Amino acid sequence: MSQDWLLKVDNLSVRFQSRGGDAHAVEGVSFEIQRGETLALVGETGCGKSVTARSILRLVPEPPGKYVAGSIKLNVEGKGVVDILSASTKEVMAIRGERISMIFQDPGKALNPSLTIGSQLAEVFGQHRVEMILESAGIEPARASRAEKRIAKQRASFVQLRFFQLTRRSKAAALQKSIDDAVARSLADTGIPNPRKIMKSYPHELSGGMKQRVMIAQALACDPDLLIADEPTTALDVTIQARILELIQDMQKRRGMAVLYITHDLSIVREFADRIAVMYAGHIVETGPAQEVLANPQHPYTNGLLGAIPHRRTPRGQLAAIPGSVPQLIDPPEQCHFASRCQWAAEACLGHVPQLHTIQPNRKVACFRFEEAESLSVAKTDMPIPAEISGEARR
Amino acid sequence: MTTASSSSSLHTVDTDSVVTLNDVKVHYPVKEGALQRVTGHVKAVDGVDLSIARGKTLGLVGESGCGKTTLGRVISGLVAPTGGDIWMDLSAQQQLDVNRLRGVNEAEMTAQDRQMWKDLTLNSRLGSMSREKQRQYRRNCQVVFQDAFSSLNPRQLVRDIVGRPLRVHEQTSGAELDKKVIELLERVGLGAEHLLRFPHQFSGGQRQRISIARALALNPEFVILDEPTSALDVSVQAQILNLLVDLQAEMGLTYLFITHDLGVVQHMADHIAVMYLGQIVEYGPTDQVFDSPLHPYSRVLRDSNPSLEGERNRDWELSGTVPNPIEPPHGCRLHPRCPVAAAGCGWSVSDVMSRTEENSPVIFETIKTVDRSDDYNAQINFENEGDAQGFVSQLNGSVINESMHRPPEVRGASVKVSFNEVSDASLEQIQDGRWSSCIRTQERGTLPDLNKSQQVNGKEGQ
Repeated sequence: MSQDWLLKVDNLSVRFQSRGGDAHAVEGVSFEIQRGETLALVGETGCGKSVTARSILRLVPEPPGKYVAGSIKLNVEGKGVVDILSASTKEVMAIRGERISMIFQDPGKALNPSLTIGSQLAEVFGQHRVEMILESAGIEPARASRAEKRIAKQRASFVQLRFFQLTRRSKAAALQKSIDDAVARSLADTGIPNPRKIMKSYPHELSGGMKQRVMIAQALACDPDLLIADEPTTALDVTIQARILELIQDMQKRRGMAVLYITHDLSIVREFADRIAVMYAGHIVETGPAQEVLANPQHPYTNGLLGAIPHRRTPRGQLAAIPGSVPQLIDPPEQCHFASRCQWAAEACLGHVPQLHTIQPNRKVACFRFEEAESLSVAKTDMPIPAEISGEARR
Repeated sequence: MTTASSSSSLHTVDTDSVVTLNDVKVHYPVKEGALQRVTGHVKAVDGVDLSIARGKTLGLVGESGCGKTTLGRVISGLVAPTGGDIWMDLSAQQQLDVNRLRGVNEAEMTAQDRQMWKDLTLNSRLGSMSREKQRQYRRNCQVVFQDAFSSLNPRQLVRDIVGRPLRVHEQTSGAELDKKVIELLERVGLGAEHLLRFPHQFSGGQRQRISIARALALNPEFVILDEPTSALDVSVQAQILNLLVDLQAEMGLTYLFITHDLGVVQHMADHIAVMYLGQIVEYGPTDQVFDSPLHPYSRVLRDSNPSLEGERNRDWELSGTVPNPIEPPHGCRLHPRCPVAAAGCGWSVSDVMSRTEENSPVIFETIKTVDRSDDYNAQINFENEGDAQGFVSQLNGSVINESMHRPPEVRGASVKVSFNEVSDASLEQIQDGRWSSCIRTQERGTLPDLNKSQQVNGKEGQ
């Protein structure tokens, strides 16, 4: 079996305990990400896309969260496959920031307001690149003293640091320069003008776009294999949004990393993603190549989502809104979760949960309209009207 | 100031307006030091002329921090303007009168003019009209806020939230109030079963519906929608937009639709006004503005919006960041970031400094002091002559050099720069019903080409 996949999420289920019962945030989600590929996880608020993304880094707080089933396997080059969900905390710590890193929706909240940009970025190098810092300061990592290591790791206390600076002046300066250089290089990489000045400033002194660039610099500092971008541009203006997305795309091409976009904005997906997975109420309902899915959506939910986007050609006031609202996630019934809002819903949809079904090579849809009555063992009359799978574009 | 208002105030002269703004300004003082001395003003809204036609939807678009929300608050009376006039319910003729009289010095008015001005200010100017009229205006003009989470009181029942305006303005109470509230809820797609619930029991879309019901309680003519759907998902947004259109048709409402989402504004608005740094830079019918923008900023906004079809044109981009609204750039406010900026766009000393800092930080570090005689003339001092030469050669060939009064002079270790003064850009009508404040567009009649001016602009520093 070829192992060219980078990340394989298999049958992942995450639940949250609450007073009313367990909320099924993610239910049986499976997908793969290849090296260098861009996958977009699309869905509305509360569909479980962020929980899925956080599970990949095991960032879901336990409790109230609970990984009920499934595995998340990361294919580390030269080291074999690691299951993130069953790995030890130490292993996961080594993966975070080094192999997989994440940028968050609101850069204003994700950066520490009481640290300068320079010292926040230095933490990443202190965590993962101690040897590199020691080496470029002219210290052999194997022979470095404890104090030197602590300084490189950004763990030295204030007194220790001052003492070192006073007694070993040249070495302290070399270490500091080596850290600063590494930080400045990573900032300059993301197109930040005048990185030395930015390093000395605090997050509140920067604009939103600049903060997001800092976040990206921080995430890419260790050359990860996978970047998870959780709504990276929702808090930004359109003119800056385009530039940030182009920056991510550019960095991806240069470093050959894979990107997982978490977003609700389908227009971004079309331009920046290779493949798309549409989520609804904790399930993936449709996957396929981004262009094809958006041009020719098969699941009623994807279709509805696309119709709801305001467009100048739709007459005013006649947007095809999806009626109703997202169903309860607490102890959901065994049925298609979209049934209550679906125009095709039939008897069969209320009795079973539809599974992803391959309808074309590369394309899967979880809807009974694409399945045979026999395979479900229900009467033909209870099935929804079968869909005609057409290869041509919708418009 | 008077010339600006007389040349550029009326956008919809042929129809009655619900609200007309003349040169409206909102400046917030910046206080510093132990004595809290006022050291400057944040110009959130700086000289806006606008009129909103009855029964239509005007879209107000712009990036965050451009002052669009503040403008909405001024119109609704939640923020007092620090300058300019806001008029309510002017007929087409009255708009013309106001416009003419604002240009005339009060001492030079004829007796007839003076009487007319007095009548106008007493009857329709916000701030000088009678209490009764002000109250009527407040009833007539309602707001739906962006965040339905924080704009509904979490301790009140839906009945109290929606019924509050009725209690205050119409002294309704008891069973009659309940009946009216239920009517309103039904109108926005909710029902009697929601009457005795708290806001936290609703989803985002439902909460926005409650907000809309509250705004409609007093049968207003004019509703300000301040980003009503930006916190909602697409499928719910579609429901709310459809509801808003239905209500407009049913009740003959006028909307001011404030948003940063171009797709939504394109779908909803008849006319749009594009705002940048406190000023309106382009105004016109929505379709025309989107098809052929007449201001570089609108063009950039349109092109950077990813769409579901067609290829996005990536040529038009802004450089740098939004300038400080305390000291906005001279001339056209966009020029330091504009892809088609030319010599006449209002370059000044501050632009040289910020451009040097951004493009060549090494040279910027060598600057010792800057003696400004005014915004357009200054002497920049360096450590030695070599640095001064470096600074000058860095400017060579850029558009900044062209806009100078005379080429920068190197005298020892200092450089003298002096720019041509440029008056501030103002909105001018370019085609029928299309207004733009771009100085170059006003000269040419069309938006300048990118390729030609890009060479002039020179991206040598990047």
